[in-house]
Amino acid sequence: MLIEVVHLQKIYQMGPVRVEALKDVSFQIAAGEFVAIIGPSGSGKTTLMHILGCLDQPTAGHYFLDGQDVSTVSENQLAEIRNKKIGFVFQQFNLLPKETILRNVCVPLVYAGFRGRRRQLELATKALNQVGLGERLHHKPNEISGGQKQRVAIARALINNPALILADEPTGNLDTKTGQEIMGIFHKLNQEGHTIIMVTHDQEIAAQAKRVIQIRDGLVQRDEVIA
Amino acid sequence: MIWEILRMAIDSLAVNKMRSFLSMLGIIIGVGAVIAIVSVGSGAQSQVTSEISQLGSNVIMINPGIRRGSGGRISLQATDVFTMELADRILQNCPSVTRIMPNLQTSGLLIAGENNYQTTVVGVTPVYQQIYDHYPARGQFITDEYLTNVSNVIVLGSGLAEELFPGSDPLGQKVKLYVRNRHLVFVVVGVMEKKGTGMWGNLENQAFIPVSVLLKKINNRQFVNGYIAQAAEAGAAKAAVAEIEYFLTSYMGDASKFRITSQEQLLETISQVTGTLSIMLGGIAGISLLVGGIGIMNIMLVSVTERTREIGIRKALGAKNRHILTQFLIEALAMSGFGGLLGIGLGWLGAAGVAKLGGWPLVVTNTSVLVAFSFALFVGLFFGIYPARKAAKLDPVIALGYE
Repeated sequence: MLIEVVHLQKIYQMGPVRVEALKDVSFQIAAGEFVAIIGPSGSGKTTLMHILGCLDQPTAGHYFLDGQDVSTVSENQLAEIRNKKIGFVFQQFNLLPKETILRNVCVPLVYAGFRGRRRQLELATKALNQVGLGERLHHKPNEISGGQKQRVAIARALINNPALILADEPTGNLDTKTGQEIMGIFHKLNQEGHTIIMVTHDQEIAAQAKRVIQIRDGLVQRDEVIA
Repeated sequence: MIWEILRMAIDSLAVNKMRSFLSMLGIIIGVGAVIAIVSVGSGAQSQVTSEISQLGSNVIMINPGIRRGSGGRISLQATDVFTMELADRILQNCPSVTRIMPNLQTSGLLIAGENNYQTTVVGVTPVYQQIYDHYPARGQFITDEYLTNVSNVIVLGSGLAEELFPGSDPLGQKVKLYVRNRHLVFVVVGVMEKKGTGMWGNLENQAFIPVSVLLKKINNRQFVNGYIAQAAEAGAAKAAVAEIEYFLTSYMGDASKFRITSQEQLLETISQVTGTLSIMLGGIAGISLLVGGIGIMNIMLVSVTERTREIGIRKALGAKNRHILTQFLIEALAMSGFGGLLGIGLGWLGAAGVAKLGGWPLVVTNTSVLVAFSFALFVGLFFGIYPARKAAKLDPVIALGYE
């Protein structure tokens, strides 16, 4: 199993208020799956995504990623896991506005300690070609369209060849047509063997995944394989 | 990776050029001020030192001791201790002393025809020339013969000769000296070479007469104000001071009747004073560096807040805390370092300007540049740590959600 979460619990203490974002969540995801995690806002799906993305750690329970229990590792190790095993795609694109497209894609390589400026740029160009971007590579993010930005983000997510691509509402800021194009890229990547977890509240988008996990009130309400 | 981080730091400073410059201003002014002040200090010091050396080398001043006043009486100098004969005995008894001359002068009005000039008239012996390294350009100086004969002869400084005899030859002419309500007539026998304004007043506008004339015909006393002695070489000055001290103490039976100041001591005192002043002023300028550091901290804190989202993104992509820490520290360092470089330029320009005005050589020591620059870097590092740590410790989840 690539991912195994066992009795995951996350509690936020906000002053006197105790918020139980995740009560008891368990599931497994195998390598090569395309999973959509859905749920209304406040269901705990964002918290779950943060934990799956190693941006946060659970209060209780375990999260095994690629055989390693990451629920107890140090902050530094967590950063390393994010760098090497997880590729993020955000709704807001989250590109660095002052860097060029190419350099944006290179950022994970830099933090991986990957040496050689030229080799970095070669890899970045290759990843950008993979998502269908071949030009405007020396432009800044504010000079390209939303769809192109999301392609750059996907290329950046792919560059360290991660075990898992984690997409948070990847089509949320795009029009339907562009959204479909981005979904097409995810399908293609999944066919090439990439494991994809997509967090969304859009039923239509979720229906394009092969498996849907529905979260409600911090619990798994539904977990079913489509088609 | 460090180059990548350095490039990012410089890029981000370049984006906000005006803001970066304003934040650096404190450091620029601080470093500039430290360098300029230290340079002006050492320039002035070398100026003063060279003026003292101009006096001739290895000079020792022997002055009367100061008697303490008691009660309502003011303190007085002992004035009735130094005779011309005593000078000869010092020369005989102190082997390290090669020359000695009396220190005696008066102020009087010199009149030549239509022109007159109020000036200092110095009573001299022939060794004046060697001790002050100051010789006549034309005619002759006061000779031993004039001295013994108590002749009314006068040697004019080059400037004074111009004042009294504009456009004509002063040699052989008569000059009247009006002093203490009396007129004395002197014959000009020489005109001195130009030497410039020194520490000891303007030698150009002084007049020189035999000390015997000043004692016998003007003062009607046998005592001079003190002596100026000269040791054979710089190394012998200390020995000469000790010999004179020993001889005079045994001769007068009282060490409080005289004071001995060597040129060496004078130089030491002056360099101490200017050194202390430089350090003090440099320290005050250093405060500006500190303030500059606070400016950098302020702008770095703003920058951290502005770039919270960027920090979140970087962390999501695998940046460790130390990567973020390094990035912001390098940014602070780049700001203080670049500011420091500009400050070195500013300080150098300022020092050059003052040196030109003051007429002394421009001295910018490596030490002052190095100390000011490293202090600027240290300030950048010190005040950069807090904002950088704040950035590094941001929770990625919160930072990503930050708008």
